[in-house]
Amino acid sequence: MPNTLRVIYSAFRMAMLYWMADPQWIIPNVIAPFVFTAVAFTLFNAYEGSSGPFGLYAVLGGGMMGMWGNTIYSSGFAISFEKWQGTLEEVMAAPSKFIHVIAGRSISNALFGLINMVAVFIVGIFVFKISLGIYDPILFTISLLLTLLSVSALGLIFASAFVLSRSAQTLTNGLETPLYIISGSMFPIALLPFWSHPLAYILGPTWGIDAIRLTTSQQYASQTFWTGMGTNSALFLDLTVMILITAAYAAIATVLFKMVETRARTMGTLVEA
Amino acid sequence: MNNLRVFVSSAVFSFRAQFNWLSPSMWLTMKFVLSFSQMAFFVFVGIFSGGGASAVSFIAIGNAMQSLSWNTVFSVVQITGQDKWDGTLPLVLATPANRLPLFVGRAMVHVLDGLVSVAISFAFAAFVFGVNFAHADPFALAVTVLLTSFTMAGFGLLIGGFSFHFRNPIVFANIFTFILLIFCGVNFPFSALPRLVQPISYAISYAFPLTYGINAARQAINGASLFNISPILAEQIVVGLLSIAMGYLLFESFERSARKTGKMEAQ
Amino acid sequence: MNELGSQDGSSSGKAIVAEHLCKTFEITKGMLRRKKTQVVALKDVSFEVDYGELFGLVGPNGAGKTTTIKILTTMLIPTSGRATVLGYDSRKDVTKIREKIGIVLGGERGLYTRVSAVDNLRYFADLYGVPRNIQDKRIKELLEFMGLSDKAHVRVETYSKGMKQRLHLARGLINDPEIIFLDEPTVGLDPEIAIETRSMIKGLVEKGKTILLTTHYMFEADALCKRVAIIRNGDVVALDTPSGLKRYVMETSVVEVEGFGITEKEVARFREMKDIISVSAELGENKQVLKIQTPKGSEIISEVQEVLKDSHIYDIKIKEPTLEDAYLKLVAT
Repeated sequence: MPNTLRVIYSAFRMAMLYWMADPQWIIPNVIAPFVFTAVAFTLFNAYEGSSGPFGLYAVLGGGMMGMWGNTIYSSGFAISFEKWQGTLEEVMAAPSKFIHVIAGRSISNALFGLINMVAVFIVGIFVFKISLGIYDPILFTISLLLTLLSVSALGLIFASAFVLSRSAQTLTNGLETPLYIISGSMFPIALLPFWSHPLAYILGPTWGIDAIRLTTSQQYASQTFWTGMGTNSALFLDLTVMILITAAYAAIATVLFKMVETRARTMGTLVEA
Repeated sequence: MNNLRVFVSSAVFSFRAQFNWLSPSMWLTMKFVLSFSQMAFFVFVGIFSGGGASAVSFIAIGNAMQSLSWNTVFSVVQITGQDKWDGTLPLVLATPANRLPLFVGRAMVHVLDGLVSVAISFAFAAFVFGVNFAHADPFALAVTVLLTSFTMAGFGLLIGGFSFHFRNPIVFANIFTFILLIFCGVNFPFSALPRLVQPISYAISYAFPLTYGINAARQAINGASLFNISPILAEQIVVGLLSIAMGYLLFESFERSARKTGKMEAQ
Repeated sequence: MNELGSQDGSSSGKAIVAEHLCKTFEITKGMLRRKKTQVVALKDVSFEVDYGELFGLVGPNGAGKTTTIKILTTMLIPTSGRATVLGYDSRKDVTKIREKIGIVLGGERGLYTRVSAVDNLRYFADLYGVPRNIQDKRIKELLEFMGLSDKAHVRVETYSKGMKQRLHLARGLINDPEIIFLDEPTVGLDPEIAIETRSMIKGLVEKGKTILLTTHYMFEADALCKRVAIIRNGDVVALDTPSGLKRYVMETSVVEVEGFGITEKEVARFREMKDIISVSAELGENKQVLKIQTPKGSEIISEVQEVLKDSHIYDIKIKEPTLEDAYLKLVAT
């Protein structure tokens, strides 16, 4: 039985190698978040100047949106990618678990969102003169990595849904911007109508971005449930909730992947992209 | 160009063009969702920044006008870029039909599509975000929207003409459609951009018909008559025609070089 | 038949056992009004393969060869019937089988083209659970064996067709499998490369591997395989050694006629004739070739000339029965 981590890493590495061969393909996935962030920067500057917590929202939120964009489109097509490459059958015929292979790919996609974050960071600092310090680098990194995992798990759900149902593909078209809004990337969820809050809370990354912000600035008040609590407790609770949600995503993805495999072995094909 | 790129490009992006293949109800639903979400996103950012009702109004109108850029710029680039990928370009070029009417004809569908987008977006602006249309001059506004849709379609032809020479028309379409959000006065006036970027942005904005359209639309909504805004619209028409002309020239030059080098199919 | 089944793949059993495999696909056609039709890919396929044997599965396109291989390699679940590989059930013990077999579906796909050969092999080595400490050595050996050492770090997209096929084969061997499944391994290859590939396959058997190979080249099956199963329309119509199959057509000769102006009319007339077993016709624009199977041998020639009196005959040859003839007899209508 092949080693799980080995398989995930190998798939991750292959995805990276592929990206390095054609780096420009990241552009369609990150240009929307990048532009949206630039506009947000400008709006923040125009009305309040760069003194508010806007740096947190703009830079970190921008990176988060980059991760979303890649998750929906790249991870969604992760399985289809193998098909176009002609390697789907060989990969599915291997003894490794298919979900582990796609997980590696999904993680690489989430990582590309980080690249978006760095680009946004650079623009923010040099063009918009935003100041951003990180209050607790270790917790920041941990929160970031956990959020990455959460986004990757969600990517797995997309990946399997895409090859199981045509409607899934159609529905995700246009899902990008609503996700940016709901997840509180660029502005607090509190601004949104109350009925939309539950939707925000079932998204793991919503808690993640909140945790990340908590580790960046002591002035930031948690925008999730624990608004009254101190930074550390809120942070701990955020991360706990996110881990639980991520586990739920992983469970759902496992079920969906079983369906993918059964379908491929019974019908011989998967839904065309 | 191996199949992978063709597929990745069409998948990553032509999804949006698949509107053509969806059922009418799905198409309409997508229109509503897209129009609303982009507007909502920026309105909320505006509110969060501390801009008041005037900011909301500014942003909502700007995004409403920009919503037609999806259909016009992007779709037209998609169409003209698509020929290269589909391999039908050789067949199209082989016909004696005059190129310009052919491509302009294709763009018409998307012009109409754009009009619907704007209408829906204005509805959202009025009923959800509380933009005041009470003083608006409907005729002036209607003409503005129509002209903007046309001229942006022409702009799309220009981008399409460019993209014939490059291997990634999709990336192009992508970049240009989104760049409009920054440089056309959609969400903020030019003065809001950082000093560093202002001169360039002024220059760039003059090339986009959308800039004029948004400007004219704002004034029309505030009560300006067609006569008042006609100078702006005149400039817009000029830019639009120039775009079509340049697009056509670029396309012709591609055709010439394709005949010389034999490079017509997707690489 | 290993009913009580040694689950450990002991050598007293067979390497591969296919028992009454049947596979039906449901195809949905149409964009708006979806119509479901059933396509029967395999009706009833049964055979056994011994350890260390080179077994051939031969048949025309669409006969069910690839479907059979996919079932045996756990990629497809049969609608009914049972496949046992190395003593393991192909429905349930999927991982155990996959670890020990190699699959080469052939052609230019199955490889990541934007990266190098080494990257590809390392990737699949990880997916097959090849221990890290032997990966390097094995990859090096495989590349040497396939003659790809000097191009090991170059992108696969720069490879020629033959090189890709060799890399594909190397990939199929990455886990040092006990059984290797090859689906049409020499199709589309240049003759010299095809010959090399065949000798490589022979070399693998000499090393003790079990190989199941599908092909539609009769001479290939004849040259390589210990036993051959001929499959047609999802059924096994014959199973024997090549010489056994040839003996089946010993009584008949094949008269090959090359001409011009031969049409379906003449072909139909031949088919109606008493002493003709089968006729296979290639009716091209500039040339038509008929292969007529008959027990009569050279006596038939005058009758042939009579039927074709309105056409031009370029050449008439009489051939000894080959595996291809046996195949024709069993497969062609």
